[in-house]
Amino acid sequence: MPRYDYESRPFPTLWSNLLTPPPPFHAMTSKNHIRPWLGFSTSKALGNFGDANYMEQLLVHCATAIETNDATLVQQILWVLNNIAAPDGDSNQRLTCGFLRALVTRAARSGTCKVLMTTAANLAIATHKFSIIELAGFVDLTPWHRFGFTAANAAILDAVEGFPVVHIVDLSLNHCMQIPTLIDSIANRLEGPPLVRLTVAGLTEDVPPMLDLSYEELGTKLVNFAKSRNVTMEFRVIPSSSSDGFSTFIEQIKIQNLLHSMNREALVINSHMMLHYIPEETLLSSPNASYRTIFLEAVRSLDPTIMVLVDEDADFTSRNLVLRLRAAFNYLWIPYDTVDTFLPRGSEQRKWYEADLCWRIENVVAAEGAQRVERLEPKGRWVQRMWSAGFRRVGFNEEGVGEVRSMLDKHAAGWGLKREEEDLVLTWKGHNVVFATVWTEKQDEAWLGTAYI
Amino acid sequence: MVEFENSSSMAVSAEGSVSSSGELLTIPPVTAEKKKRNLPGMPDPDAEVIAMSPKSLLATNRFVCEICNKGFQRDQNLQLHRRGHNLPWKLRQRAGNEVRKRVYVCPELTCVHHDPKRALGDLTGIKKHFCRKHGEKKWKCERCAKKYAVLSDWKAHLKTCGTREYRCDCGTLFSRRDSFITHRAFCDALAQESSRAQTLAVADSEGTLTVQTVASSSSSPPQPPLTPSTGVLSPVLSIQSSEAPENLPAQLVHQQPVAASSTTPAATITTGSSSTTGGNGLNSGGDSGVFASIFASSAPPGFSQPSQSPSSFSDMLCAMASPDPYSSEPMLLSLSSSLYLSTNPSSLFPNTNHDHHHPCPPQPALSATALLQKAAQMGATGSGSFLRGLGLELPSSSNNLVKSENISIEAGLGLGLPTAGPSHLLGPSSLYGNEPTTLDLLGLGMGGGGASTAGFSALLTSIGGGLDVATATAFRVNSNGDSWEGPSERKPSLL
Repeated sequence: MPRYDYESRPFPTLWSNLLTPPPPFHAMTSKNHIRPWLGFSTSKALGNFGDANYMEQLLVHCATAIETNDATLVQQILWVLNNIAAPDGDSNQRLTCGFLRALVTRAARSGTCKVLMTTAANLAIATHKFSIIELAGFVDLTPWHRFGFTAANAAILDAVEGFPVVHIVDLSLNHCMQIPTLIDSIANRLEGPPLVRLTVAGLTEDVPPMLDLSYEELGTKLVNFAKSRNVTMEFRVIPSSSSDGFSTFIEQIKIQNLLHSMNREALVINSHMMLHYIPEETLLSSPNASYRTIFLEAVRSLDPTIMVLVDEDADFTSRNLVLRLRAAFNYLWIPYDTVDTFLPRGSEQRKWYEADLCWRIENVVAAEGAQRVERLEPKGRWVQRMWSAGFRRVGFNEEGVGEVRSMLDKHAAGWGLKREEEDLVLTWKGHNVVFATVWTEKQDEAWLGTAYI
Repeated sequence: MVEFENSSSMAVSAEGSVSSSGELLTIPPVTAEKKKRNLPGMPDPDAEVIAMSPKSLLATNRFVCEICNKGFQRDQNLQLHRRGHNLPWKLRQRAGNEVRKRVYVCPELTCVHHDPKRALGDLTGIKKHFCRKHGEKKWKCERCAKKYAVLSDWKAHLKTCGTREYRCDCGTLFSRRDSFITHRAFCDALAQESSRAQTLAVADSEGTLTVQTVASSSSSPPQPPLTPSTGVLSPVLSIQSSEAPENLPAQLVHQQPVAASSTTPAATITTGSSSTTGGNGLNSGGDSGVFASIFASSAPPGFSQPSQSPSSFSDMLCAMASPDPYSSEPMLLSLSSSLYLSTNPSSLFPNTNHDHHHPCPPQPALSATALLQKAAQMGATGSGSFLRGLGLELPSSSNNLVKSENISIEAGLGLGLPTAGPSHLLGPSSLYGNEPTTLDLLGLGMGGGGASTAGFSALLTSIGGGLDVATATAFRVNSNGDSWEGPSERKPSLL
């Protein structure tokens, strides 16, 4: 791993003169008097502090200090972090820098450090608004998204075999990026292409990746593309919010479903890294059913032919800042680590990529309540939720697994595929990254009849 | 060395030449083993099995002269060399039946080819196998980042790398089909191509459009409002396509911008059936005349399906105006529905008195003008020149008309499609700006090297001290301030 050359170059820091260095402890009696450091005990290279272990410890202690309102300590640790976590350093440094930035924002917001207000304001993250072509290239930089796309498409294709009409309900973070390949493969199916009705949840919240194109325009392009593949497609977008568990969206789907229930129509619920935006139990004060539970039960009541659930395998739901920070740190190193394999330092795309990551880190660390939307849950918990909602898990067929494998072969060597029970898990250097699960209604129809009236 | 005593007929011969003696033993016809062809390494049980260490296997000059330490790749060459030292030497005889075939096992214990029963028949083969499966991949392709352990594999790859690329009409290259497809779907090149294809009656697009019509009229479920969608477009476009090459003067094609001409049939319908709009503003008289006549011809040649006469086209338009579950929704978009939206103001079709006429649906929530504006916007940015055409016909005020005419010219040239230019890109954030470091604020002089880093240690020490006081965690700093101890888990740096 490349280490920063600390000796010969000025160390790049997140901010420069915005934050005064904190007084040393032995000088703390005279707070306004800042004097240079004395007593250099060792000459140990700073590089050792670049270790992720130390960085995580520093971040954790900074978070603790913020929570305990210890302004001086916060300031000191931030200052140290600022000098060891270069925004253009190695992947650990950049990762830490993202957290540092988030902690500054949190400290400023919570009022722990008034001094940090201006710093925080200057550190506002500029997320990129992608053009559709940029985004199309962007999602394929790593298998992060394509893994789910490929697995889901294979499963969907399998499930809708023989149906003359396929209604795809797309709840996807990536603005329909999965749809072109789905159309392409559905166009080539043996019995001829079905009529495809695509209903998209247009997320009203602004979460990256942001697109500079309206969903209407996006729809025109998709319809046009489908036509070029001899697929008749109808596109429809329902602006909806994750904050209420897509309740309006579900209502609309329900109405449509009723209208088309006479047809032999397959209903496909495709959720790609979107459901973790729905508030879960930790956001509730009362022990009511969370929006997440309500949403899944509502989806279940639609009797979908198939539901695909793809999401990131991590837990960002803790109410405890330190636990959350650690969970995020121990998951989000992966996108920073992978970026070195495909994007050169200083490239424009890399800045977009990392700005989006910084946005997520800040949301996990600095935001609270309904503002905190990055609420990932690990696969196991989702599986529990799906079971409770009355879904039955189905596996991926060998063809689908093969497609995912051959897709991964074309990416960097660190990516891997793991089969856990019936599910597929994308791994990076052995660590779980994204999981893909496929669900259908429970087979026992008679039982269902009594359960869902 | 392992040897098989069992003597039976030689069944498998490796393709390479191992024993440089080059004698060819007569190979009896392969019988039972033939079925197992895909399993590499089913050697002759009679062959001599040779096991080599990885080192000797990969050694380039493994036959070494004991006098001068010169190494040779082949024993025969060493023997020849030994003659120079006046040492006893022996060249292998060609004819000898006594020379046994040799097979080689892989030195990797866990490998299937470690088993003598699955030994490989030639030395080069086992070398390559060992490198490929158990060796380091030293050779990297600069283009696609694939790595190879065997030089010849790498060279072979270089010859083909990049030949299986996907190229979009916009010039972008893709090595993977899925990324190409995704790009293709959203690239403006597709929109341009499809409009061009329709106008110039490229056989391909004609074929596909017709097929589509058939499909929508026969195989789809009994749901009139849904099925026509793009199918409705097909008759129009197909008519035009089949007629255009013969009937349209080339000059007309030139006069009429590409995209605009494909919208003309619709425009003609509009002007023909109602007098509400200034549709003529788009088409100079002669052109619309030609198109009108095409459209008026009752049974266009090349069209066998009775349902696709012009009048049935109106039928279909009307059919589309039948209650559609989608119509009550505000955000509605598909080719068909846009068409529906634009034609929905019933004043456009005041005299539709066909059998299949459906009552007008409940009006959408948005006003017609708003819908039209939406349609026009879609037309201006999207690819659907057809949409654009309809959108342009409808604004009632003359101001709008002038405005939309401008759009139509732009769009018609096929150049007005917006592309995301670099102007949209955000500048580098302040985060990445190169600014002086904070370190000088300390007066430490970071450039000084060791001294300043020691400063950090001091700082950390002091913080550590502070932490011990301030926070009651299991985290502490060693007395020399070198290392931090805390709960250790997996760390990225360890990977």
